[in-house]
Parts: sequence; structure tokens; C-alpha cells
Amino acid sequence: MSEIVINNLTKNYGSGKGIFDVTLSVKKGEVFGFLGPNGAGKTTTIRHLMGFINADKGSCTIGGLDCRTKSAEIQKTLGYLPGEIAFMDDMKGMDFIRFIAKMKDVADLTRANELMELLELNPQGLLKKMSKGMKQKIGLVCVFLSNPKVLLLDEPSSGLDPLMQNRFIELILAEKKKGTTIFLSSHIFEEIERTCDRTAIIRNGKLATITDMQTLRASKQKTYLITFETDEQATAFAKEGFKLSSVTSNTVAVSVKGDVMPLINAMNKYKITALDVKTQTLEELFLNFYGKGENGNA
Amino acid sequence: MLNFTLFKRELRANYVVFLIFVGVLALYESMIVMMFDPQLGEMLDQFAKVMPQIMAAFGMVSVGSTLIEFVSSYLYGFLLLMFPMIFEIIVANRLVSRYVDRGSMACLLATPNKRSKIILTQATFMFLSLLSLIIISTAMTIAFSEMMFPSALDIPKFLVLNVNLLGLHFAISGICFFGSAVANSSKLSYSIGAGIPIAFYLIQMLANMGGKLEDLKYATIFSLFDPASILKEPGNLMPLFILCAIGIILYSSGILIFNKKDLSL
Repeated sequence: MSEIVINNLTKNYGSGKGIFDVTLSVKKGEVFGFLGPNGAGKTTTIRHLMGFINADKGSCTIGGLDCRTKSAEIQKTLGYLPGEIAFMDDMKGMDFIRFIAKMKDVADLTRANELMELLELNPQGLLKKMSKGMKQKIGLVCVFLSNPKVLLLDEPSSGLDPLMQNRFIELILAEKKKGTTIFLSSHIFEEIERTCDRTAIIRNGKLATITDMQTLRASKQKTYLITFETDEQATAFAKEGFKLSSVTSNTVAVSVKGDVMPLINAMNKYKITALDVKTQTLEELFLNFYGKGENGNA
Repeated sequence: MLNFTLFKRELRANYVVFLIFVGVLALYESMIVMMFDPQLGEMLDQFAKVMPQIMAAFGMVSVGSTLIEFVSSYLYGFLLLMFPMIFEIIVANRLVSRYVDRGSMACLLATPNKRSKIILTQATFMFLSLLSLIIISTAMTIAFSEMMFPSALDIPKFLVLNVNLLGLHFAISGICFFGSAVANSSKLSYSIGAGIPIAFYLIQMLANMGGKLEDLKYATIFSLFDPASILKEPGNLMPLFILCAIGIILYSSGILIFNKKDLSL
């Protein structure tokens, strides 16, 4: 049973901007990642799902209801976190949470209080005086206070510190257990990696691929910076037959895709003074996934 | 039909603006009423004879000897056109386009409320706040008159004058609301909502100066509100009817366009 269905969705803003023939579906209870660099069309797609804009072509539905015409009905069971949060700046944090709860016809603030505790949020004071992270937390409280069945989250953990990012991931995993359908957009691979079952990758407004996490993880390449005790050892290691990115005096950069055991076994033979992991950027991931440049058409 | 939670929030967000305008109107209305003096009227008549065009530009043509003529000339030629208009420009912008411009409209639409319900609530708020402003203004002028010159004011005629004023401001607020509802930025909203009424008023000032320029009165909404002829012919409802029609058309097309348009939130 598909909860979210996007069919040939097209919105052309001209000069290559927009989204083109995006088709995907998200199953009930699935956590679906939507990965792409800035400006790839993630937010445009979500705007369609929220019914903010009219498609040039194609359609999208949530729970079988058309996103543009039935948005009020969809919103009864939906939680939405915008990518760029803007509140009524003249309100106080707690007043705003109460206001949104009333607008959503939620009388019981138990869930909101739970979340404020989890996120260590103290929503006193005016919204306009709050930091980006504080606002993000208030946004998250507003998303979850109605116990939604479907979540649309546009770059949800931006602005949160690492501790809170972990709390957020726990929150998503708890929702996943409850059977909530989650559509999560991000330009950070790690955010998607820890929570999603499947992910779509969008580039230049076009859907590049939809893949399950295992496949994506396997194709993900990590670069290890290994520092040896002497230059000679480094030169010897370089001949072990790994894919080398660079060799500088006693430091070797090795790229490994998938299984790391062979590398660990090989390293055992040498005296190593330092080991660093360089994680891939999203662009490098794309490069790897397609074996093509970022500007090449997939 | 309406969302009362949102309506209450707008009350809280806008009451300060409202009170400032009530205060400013109270100040001018009490001053003008206090200035009334049949002898002073004659003096101002002489001013009008000496520099007729300048006085006419501000709608101060025939300064009569009765309180209602005096008040209609000095308050309803400029002050009660301008101040409520500025109020409408500010409030209309705050009700819709500011939310869209800043992105907080997303918070309102991410709730189980139809776009039409949100915009209808805002339109109702706009109209009711304007209605309250005119009612309070009318009541204040009557109260000041009764305090200073008991039974000198022709109250029934004065009420007719204010119903016409309400019609004028309903039409002007329609322009402001339309601008706010169709624009995706506050800048465009102000260009329509402030630019058009101010242009109308400047045209009106030119038309008032008479001569060849008088034909310009057909190019401005303000000629549909002429205090002198309302007092002369209180039964002529045609201008009021046209103003209401303009207002209804502008409010409803603003609502319709808002329901259909792309919101970049």
C-alpha cells in the first residue's frame, strides 16, 4: 500500500530550474530519504506535496488524496517541517506552540511537552530573539504535537547540534516503530543513512535513482588516511594493491568501497601511528554512484 | 467558514496599530470640533477667496456656518480619507503578503485549514477592523460635538455621511487587500495597496483645483465620496452603491486568486 505517490510531477521554472517527471512512491510505514544537493528540487517537490504550488504536469497524492485540492484533509494526519523555518516573529515560543496546536485542533499538549523535554527546549521569550537551533526545535514540536501518520521533513536536522541531531534520529526511529510514514529530504548522506529504508537521489530536478540503503551504502566509498612510522613503510604499503588516492611521504590515502576487512588485515603488518577517516561529500558519492561528473547527465 | 484561532491571533497582533489610529483620529476630531466657531468660518471663507486653489486641493471648498458643514469640510476632505487609508495599507499587508513574504504562511497552511478559510478569515478581519475604526471615529466626533456644542450637530445627516465614508474605505481596503493577496512579496503588495490609492488621491487633488483638470475626477475613486453633495442630497445612494461594488469585486478576486496561485513557501 503506497502512502505517498508522485506521478510524472513537473514544474518548470525556466533555465533548467524546477523538477521534471519525478515519479516515486513511498509505502505505508516506510522511511524514505530524498537526497540531493542544494537547488536540486527537493523543496519544490515537497511544496507540491504540501499543495503550495500547482504542477505543470503530473500529480501527487498522500493517502489517495490529491495534494493540491485536498490539502486541508491531508493535513489532519500530516506533520510538516519546512526547510527554512519562518514563524510569527511577534509571538512568544510557547504561545506559538499553543497557537499551532489550536489551529490543528489538538487540545492535549502531552505530546508537545514530551518533545520539549526530549529536545531540551525552553520556549520562553520572543521567537524573533531565538537562535536557528531553537526555532528548529519549536518547528519539530509543532510537527509532532498532533501525532501525525505521515511526516514531510525538509532538512530536519539543520541547525541542531550533534547531540540534538542524535536525539532527532532516535525520535525518527521511534516514529518508524510506530508505523509512521516518513519522507525526509536532506543534502547530508549521514542523516539519511541512519534512518531510511530507501532513498531517492535527485539532481538538477531529475530523479537520478531510487535505491535501498544497502546498495547505496555498499557503493559508498570511504577514504582512510594512514600515517606510517616511516616513509619506507608507506611506500611498501602502497604496493599492497589498494586503490590509492595519494601518497605523501609517510601518509597514504586509501579509498575503500564496501568491505574494509582486507584493508584492516593489510594494515596489521605495518606500524601505524595515526588513522583518519575522511567521509565522502554528497558530490563525491554521486561521482562514485555514477562514475560520472556532477554535471554529467545521469 | 472562519478560523477563530487565527482571528484572535490577528486581534492580538494588530490592536496596537488600531489604537494608534484611534488616538490620532481622536486628537484631530476633537481639535477640529473645538475650532468650530461661526465667526471663524467666515474668516476661513475669506482665506478660500484669497487662495481658492490651495484650499480646494485639500477639499476645503465651501466652509459653511453649520457644524456639520464645518466638520465635513475639514475632517472629511483630507484627514478621514488619509488616516483610515494608511491603516488599511498597513493592516492589509500584515494580514496576507507579510506571511507569504516571510514564509510563515506555511505554518498556517500546515494545519487542517483550507486556503480559502485562511484568506476569508483575513478578509473578514480587514473589513471588521475598518468597520470598527469608522464606527469609533463617528462616535467620537458625535461625542466631542455634543460635549462642546450640544445639539448643534445634525446627527442623522452625519451618520449618512459616515456610511458613505465606510463605502469609500471598503473600496480602498479592497485595493489594499487585493494587492496583499495576489503579491508574493511585501514590496509588490505595497506597490499595489499603497501606490494606487495614493495616486487616486493625488489625481483628486488636481481635479479639485478645477478648470481643465476637473475632468480628472473621472479617473479617481475619491470623487465617489463628495461630502458637500452627500449633505445636499443624502438620499443619492448611487456613489455608495458603486463603491460597495468595487469593494466586493476586489475582495472576492483577491480571495479567488490567492486560492489558486503558487505560493513559494
